[in-house]
Amino acid sequence: MTDYKKPLPAISTLNGPYWDGLKQRELKMPSCNDCGKLWYPPAPFCPECWSRNFTWRQLSGRGTVNSWVVFHQAYFSSYKDDVPYNVAEVELEEGPRLLTNLVGIANADIVIGMSVEIVYDDVTDEVTLAKFRPTEQ
Amino acid sequence: MSDWNLKDQTAVCGVGHSPFGKRLNRSTIDLGGEAIRNALEDAGLNKNNLDGLIASFGTPIGADADTLAYALGLKLRMYNQTWAHGRFTASCLQWAAMAVKAGLANYVACLASISFSGFRKPMMGGASDNEGAREGGGGHGEDPVYGMTSPGAGSALIAQKYFAKYGATSCQLGAVAVAFRKHAALNPAAMMRTPISVEDHQNSRFVCEPLRLLDYCQINDGAACVIVTTSERARDLKKPPVFISGMQGLPAGREEFIWTHPGFGVAQQSVFDYQPELQPVYRMAGVTHADIDALFTYDAFSILVWSALERWGFCRPGEAAAFTQDGRIEVGGALPINTNGGLMSEGHIMGWNHQVEIVRQLRGECGPRQVANAQVIQWANAYGDSLIYRR
Repeated sequence: MTDYKKPLPAISTLNGPYWDGLKQRELKMPSCNDCGKLWYPPAPFCPECWSRNFTWRQLSGRGTVNSWVVFHQAYFSSYKDDVPYNVAEVELEEGPRLLTNLVGIANADIVIGMSVEIVYDDVTDEVTLAKFRPTEQ
Repeated sequence: MSDWNLKDQTAVCGVGHSPFGKRLNRSTIDLGGEAIRNALEDAGLNKNNLDGLIASFGTPIGADADTLAYALGLKLRMYNQTWAHGRFTASCLQWAAMAVKAGLANYVACLASISFSGFRKPMMGGASDNEGAREGGGGHGEDPVYGMTSPGAGSALIAQKYFAKYGATSCQLGAVAVAFRKHAALNPAAMMRTPISVEDHQNSRFVCEPLRLLDYCQINDGAACVIVTTSERARDLKKPPVFISGMQGLPAGREEFIWTHPGFGVAQQSVFDYQPELQPVYRMAGVTHADIDALFTYDAFSILVWSALERWGFCRPGEAAAFTQDGRIEVGGALPINTNGGLMSEGHIMGWNHQVEIVRQLRGECGPRQVANAQVIQWANAYGDSLIYRR
């Protein structure tokens, strides 16, 4: 685990609950107790009504592929062995969109609109990433 | 929103640039100094006239405003500087116009002096790129934790979605690169002057699929400078003034993703059918699309041109792919775009080289790539900032 060389998130007071959630196998996002808005990336105010009264709500982890790309060039040397690798934007059932990697599928088989579900990838002892795979029918 | 009383009140009185090239081995102060000197000479001014400076943008790949003032021995009453990258062009000129109109300075040099290729590698999209290190996506779209590290990837995300939504193709995108290279072939200052075909585009390697190498801008060094003053002062100088008729600064927020127009539904944008409307910049300048003789836009990636055409209402959503075919965006076509060759072929001075070209076009100085009888030219970006210039 400690030989993980790729960029890691800068965990802060702002996004701590998000990353803690992933470690606990829960996809959580801030949700406004006043207007019901759910948002990502983490921010200390509801971007809709500016309420600070929010809770970290657990999401379904299901969504669809909104768009996707395949990197053929490694901008960080730690990605060198991965090219060509995909990055997808997944639209969660609850609304927010996440950048992520799709696993368990060949790049050539990725299609916009396909259903996906979260898988938790423990890349270090401290950090778990949210990746997605095609939803099992 | 009420229109400012700034229509045609300010003007560009001088433009200049340094050579554009890869690894020029010159400091950004050196390149910037050359661009400022050339612009002053173009205007018939000297360094003692210059009392305002806006640097777009500062270190690590640009030259800071205060460092420049110190190194070049300028005596400034007003200076300012933007954060990284090319979306601040219209905003800088807007600030310069306000500054000279308000009397904060008489002559403001707006400068981009950058060394992309001279900086330690890997710069763009890599470990030393501040934006590449940004998390959570946002308006620029990077998330290095998942390998989403380069600005071009944000554009690739849009291209993929655009292709799927409208049935457009990479071949059609190739026409944008081909058009700009044709323009560059007519421009002695351009870095890339060898003509290319759509076939060359299709044969170029993927960088971030579906975008290919020939969908990308150059990564280079160089500087470009635009000097702004009041129209009154500009009329007394060496070259005819190029008036700033309309201006509209950079928008920001969750509905903005800088690679596409609002409503497209990427990052945290809502999905809605974008209805291009008359933007404030047209109202301020008192012109409509029909009056625009040429369009200039930030073309770091080919798809941005489609987004700009649709955001500003030159095309309806989904129509830009077809519009950019058959020479329509070339000199002599219905709407010439980026006659300098753009960032993709002339060089990447973050859109400042485009401002230099606009001014030269409106003065009729562009030789074989001159747009016949150019009267009104618009700078308008995929991400919503714009200027309308007139001769």
